[in-house]
Amino acid sequence: MTPSVSSHPAAADKPTYITNQIIDVAALLSQYEDEAAGAVVLFNGTVRNQSLGKPVDYLFYEAAETMAYKMINDLLQEAQEKWHLTTVFAVHRIGKVYVGESAVVVITSSPHRKEAYDANQYIIEKIKHELPLWKCEYFTDGTKKWGGNCSCQEITGNPNQHIYDI
Amino acid sequence: MKVKVYAVLKDYFAAETEIVAQNITDLKEQLLQLNPSAKEVINLSRFAVNDAFVENNHQINENDTISIIPPSSGG
Repeated sequence: MTPSVSSHPAAADKPTYITNQIIDVAALLSQYEDEAAGAVVLFNGTVRNQSLGKPVDYLFYEAAETMAYKMINDLLQEAQEKWHLTTVFAVHRIGKVYVGESAVVVITSSPHRKEAYDANQYIIEKIKHELPLWKCEYFTDGTKKWGGNCSCQEITGNPNQHIYDI
Repeated sequence: MKVKVYAVLKDYFAAETEIVAQNITDLKEQLLQLNPSAKEVINLSRFAVNDAFVENNHQINENDTISIIPPSSGG
């Protein structure tokens, strides 16, 4: 049997990893409560009000959805196995996301805190560097800029190799 | 074959086009003929055939869907 990436029965069928709806962080945290866990780490990536020294109006996120979905699913499973997590979940917004809203949430639980922290950081780094998903920043002055968080290849010389791989 | 581009690449190419190419290297050359100013971003992008990443020498079949994936900027 393939282990589920979530210990939550309601989310076990087909979890929502990519959504165009507002992420309710408090509701998610309560949905993924886990009595086997002594440590729950929740990373909440939010849209800040300025970037490149300019006021931000909103961000627009686009994904290669089928590829991104599978990559998140594989990533959560990998993290669960590596750190023996009792719960693991991640969700990323697409479409317009306004200042203050959550763009991405990662939840990891484990009996003790080190595993939950390490796994959470691993997952968010992979999401930022490797997920086929992109942000476009729209500024209040009417300009826009497609984001490039991942510039690792300028250092590694290989688009498939990131700074944490070397 | 169908070629889909995403994010910043849509500033250079139509979101979806039909291109006949032998392999990924051939496809890259054709894209750069269509729009030479895309060179930098094409060289930084990864290529996927039917949702799986491939290398430059990967042979492309008529019914394949190719996705061109620029550097990620999630989070």
